[in-house]
Amino acid sequence: MDSAKTIPMEGRADDLLRFGIHGVKSDIIEPHPLQSARRSAKLTQEEMKKKILSNTYGAAFPMKMELDRQILSKFQRPPGAIPSSFVGLEAFTGAMEDFGFEDYLNDPRESESVRPVDLHHAMEVRLGLSKGPPCPSFM
Amino acid sequence: MTRFAESAPSKGGFSFDLCKRNEMLVQKGLKQPSFLKTGTTIVGLVFQDGVILGADTRATEGPIVADKNCEKIHYMAPNIYCCGAGTAADTEAVTDMVSSNLKLHRYHTGRESRVVTALTLLKSHLFSYQGHVSAALVLGGVDVTGPHLHTIYPHGSTDTLPFATMGSGSLAAMAIFESKYREGLTRDEGVKIVAEAICSGIFNDLGSGSNVDICVITKGKQEYLRNYMLPNPRTYVSEKGYTFSKKTEVLLTKITPLRELVEVIEGGDAMEE
Repeated sequence: MDSAKTIPMEGRADDLLRFGIHGVKSDIIEPHPLQSARRSAKLTQEEMKKKILSNTYGAAFPMKMELDRQILSKFQRPPGAIPSSFVGLEAFTGAMEDFGFEDYLNDPRESESVRPVDLHHAMEVRLGLSKGPPCPSFM
Repeated sequence: MTRFAESAPSKGGFSFDLCKRNEMLVQKGLKQPSFLKTGTTIVGLVFQDGVILGADTRATEGPIVADKNCEKIHYMAPNIYCCGAGTAADTEAVTDMVSSNLKLHRYHTGRESRVVTALTLLKSHLFSYQGHVSAALVLGGVDVTGPHLHTIYPHGSTDTLPFATMGSGSLAAMAIFESKYREGLTRDEGVKIVAEAICSGIFNDLGSGSNVDICVITKGKQEYLRNYMLPNPRTYVSEKGYTFSKKTEVLLTKITPLRELVEVIEGGDAMEE
């Protein structure tokens, strides 16, 4: 989650217009307050859901759910032309019945500056042989 | 867990890519374009067997009238409609998105949508975007629990009222409602008061104008009266008429509908009750 803050993104240092001048402050503070608000709201919502579940069904239930979630999120297509659909994960978390801006606005795959995924690099990242995000989204 | 969340491709939605650049340009002395004033009159009231929504049809871009006959009453569900004021694209995007959510929810539960469901979806969405999605809405509908009317402000606060107005013409419209509204109005009386309130907005507020749209929702029935009144008709039409050069050749007018991909069978065996 905090990868953007700690792990240097590929191509990040070059893009001054998009990410501003590289500095300690600009790395920590996000460009817009809404961005961090959105993310923290999402995290607290997930935490709340887990807490409610553990209060209702006991601590083991959300733990098992978390395990299942991790297993299902590992089930992916090899990086390349077709993106993973995460049908199992979406059915499990209930994301299938949600529909938001992220589903139809500003799809990163339709961006004019999207970088085609390098299969070899992405596989290396997935197997832990190489560092960095496997799908650097920008040129 | 973090590793796998990372390996998933990034999602769409709001993009904050250019915020840093814009901030830098402002610091360097670039003047940002100022905000454009929005203007609208939208109203709603509860009458004896349902809800009536009303809207004007003027869309403005600051001092310019962009559209003289736009639609401000949006479909949400068969029994719920929503009037939108504020940024036209935002109101349309939000109502369309929530309408899709309600449809998915109806598929999931097999029941009619409730107005409070739409209200909660709208307010939680608007609150999570902290007012950056500028949509001021009047939501009305009839469900199993009766007729409901709500107003939703751009930051996510809501009101539940027997009669409501929104937009820049809301004061003019509210003046009519406050003097004429009473409980147990009939349909015709309600439509008359709503049309009068919208007309008051049209003639007294510069941001509102053109025609009156009305939507009457009762139990199991909805009437969308598009251009119910045309108080500002076009006064001049050229006697000679208008001719347009014939440049487009019509090759084919037959429309072949796309094949239905999924066949939905109603009333099949439910997996679980």
